[in-house]
Amino acid sequence: MERHIPLPMLILAVLGFAFMLMPILVVVMAGLTAGEFLTFPPQGLSLRWVAAFLQSDKYLSSFFFSFRLAVMTMIVATILGTAAALFLSRTGMIGRGAMRAFFLSPVVLPGVVIGFALFAFFIATDMGISRTIWGLWIGHILYSTPYVIGTVGAALASYDTSLEEAARSLGASPWRAFRKVTLPNISQGIQAGSIFAFIVSFGQFEVSLFLSSPNSEPLPIAMYNSLRYQFEPSAAAAGIFAITLVTASVLLTNRLVNIRRLLERQQAGG
Amino acid sequence: MSYVEFQGISKQFGETLAVEDLDISIAQGEFFSLLGPSGCGKSTTLRMLAGFVTPTTGQIHVHGRDITRLPPEARDIGIVFQNYAIFPHMTVYDNIAFGLVERNMTKRDIRRKVEAALEQVGMSGYERRFERELSGGQKQRVALARVLVIEPEILLLDEPLSALDKKMREEMKFWIKEIQRSVGITTIYVTHDQSEALTMSDRIAVMEGGRVLQVGTPVEIYEYPASRFVAEFIGESNLLSGRVQEVTDGRCEIDLGPAAVPAQAPSGAPLSEGSEVALLIRPEMIRLHKVSEDEAPMLEGRIAEEVYQGSLRRYQVETAGQKLTVEVANRPDLPLRSAGEAVALYWNTESGVVVR
Ligand SMILES: Nc1ncnc2c1ncn2[C@@H]1O[C@H](COP(=O)(O)OP(=O)(O)OP(=O)(O)O)[C@@H](O)[C@H]1O
Ligand SMILES: [Mg+2]
Repeated sequence: MERHIPLPMLILAVLGFAFMLMPILVVVMAGLTAGEFLTFPPQGLSLRWVAAFLQSDKYLSSFFFSFRLAVMTMIVATILGTAAALFLSRTGMIGRGAMRAFFLSPVVLPGVVIGFALFAFFIATDMGISRTIWGLWIGHILYSTPYVIGTVGAALASYDTSLEEAARSLGASPWRAFRKVTLPNISQGIQAGSIFAFIVSFGQFEVSLFLSSPNSEPLPIAMYNSLRYQFEPSAAAAGIFAITLVTASVLLTNRLVNIRRLLERQQAGG
Repeated sequence: MSYVEFQGISKQFGETLAVEDLDISIAQGEFFSLLGPSGCGKSTTLRMLAGFVTPTTGQIHVHGRDITRLPPEARDIGIVFQNYAIFPHMTVYDNIAFGLVERNMTKRDIRRKVEAALEQVGMSGYERRFERELSGGQKQRVALARVLVIEPEILLLDEPLSALDKKMREEMKFWIKEIQRSVGITTIYVTHDQSEALTMSDRIAVMEGGRVLQVGTPVEIYEYPASRFVAEFIGESNLLSGRVQEVTDGRCEIDLGPAAVPAQAPSGAPLSEGSEVALLIRPEMIRLHKVSEDEAPMLEGRIAEEVYQGSLRRYQVETAGQKLTVEVANRPDLPLRSAGEAVALYWNTESGVVVR
């Protein structure tokens, strides 16, 4: 049956999409300009600033720095976040509601606060990691783990615990029951959470601002620093690459998940 | 010799006392049902035996061994859940093989056993299906096969039929019972449906509010309920309140107000004259006749309502200031009664059971 969307709703939806896509459009167009300056609309189209980005040590190294940091963050945030979500969903402890709120608080806590707090902490304790990738890594993990807790928590909320109980009474130890039954059934939530962690870390600005140094600059900081001094379109070109990477990672994981489902279907079909 | 033994089992969840001081013993090979309304603690009792819930007090013994604190995987007890809990990410084959894999069997043995189990439950050919590709009844069979294949000492079933439609339910009822009999496995069956419990069980424990009210065979439970609650919960019942008038060995006279009727005295402590009791008469035990002088009826009354139910007719009869339900087989030799008609009610003295 065909679904009819009321016209006003349709118009609002289209406007909403346009509004959300506008910044991306602006960045992509500005990065493809043929002119000397960052302008919109662009003055003619060319790949010269894309080429400039690819030849710039500064941008390329910060791009890969961000990528490495995001992957490292994703790994730790996924493990910590999954464990925390499991704990929150299983514990019968009093005050678990408060604990959930606490674990999720970095989502609502401004990044500035986390960044500043960590900065002050690293300096005060003189740990020697205040302006290194390790310090940044800790900040990013703090900032992105709640996203994993959120998605895995949602997956666990719709997970039927009697599956795990069935596994236990069929002879599986708690760990085997988790690995063979629970994990596969919440893997979609874990995958979604890890993509979130990656993207959140890759685009992170405020936490990074406090914790990075000129020789370990994530891409957003590098873009910001260069725009402060020269208004040149290679920053927009860097933006194009960032957008491409994020979009690709979303599509890729989406694809992976679907491929797995497809395989299952094929096996099932015979 | 009892095989499964609950001794003084209680379970407290925060403020709720879900199960209170439960003592049950179950014989080997027995089909035992826990029957009671929602929230009476049936599932909690079952889950304590399965090892998912730790009792607050008391012990559970199986075959003389104390299993109260053993984890589920060390118990050798199989459970079928209300929603079947088929692993959705595995094929039917892998679901049934799960317990065998955990027991480190060889691939060949696993294949042989899984195939035999599928055959036993009539699901051969479904090996490669996933849960979402099965009907409710098929899931049920797979869940049962998955448990039976590991040959557990005890089989637990928690309302296994409640997710099925009525026709399927009737079918599975007999099927489960048949499988249980052929395997000979000690089975504990949780249900809130009295007809399921009556048809399937060797013995039934009727529970309410976390307590066991009565344990007995279906016949004992239905014909000699120990309390008003059991009488009302099991089957259709007429409970007439009255007062004990006279007790003579095995028999007694119950004063119902307008008339006094003879009844069978309950077993157990003797009735004291003058005490308030209820007289239970099942609707199918009552015969309706025209009022005549020949034989003195138990009661006289007037038809208030008549309902046609296919195989039988159900009458509401006003008598002794109360309404009685009477069921009469729908046969041509039994005359029809219509509303307003005066009737005489008869039943055998043994069919009137005194309930305290
Ligand atoms: N995990 C739990 N935490 C807190 N209370 C619980 C828990 N499990 C059961 N209860 C409570 O214990 C009581 C008995 O529950 P139980 O599930 O044993 O009832 P039941 O007889 O199986 O009912 P139903 O027919 O509805 O399944 C209920 O009041 C229920 O709310
Ligand atoms: Mg229950």
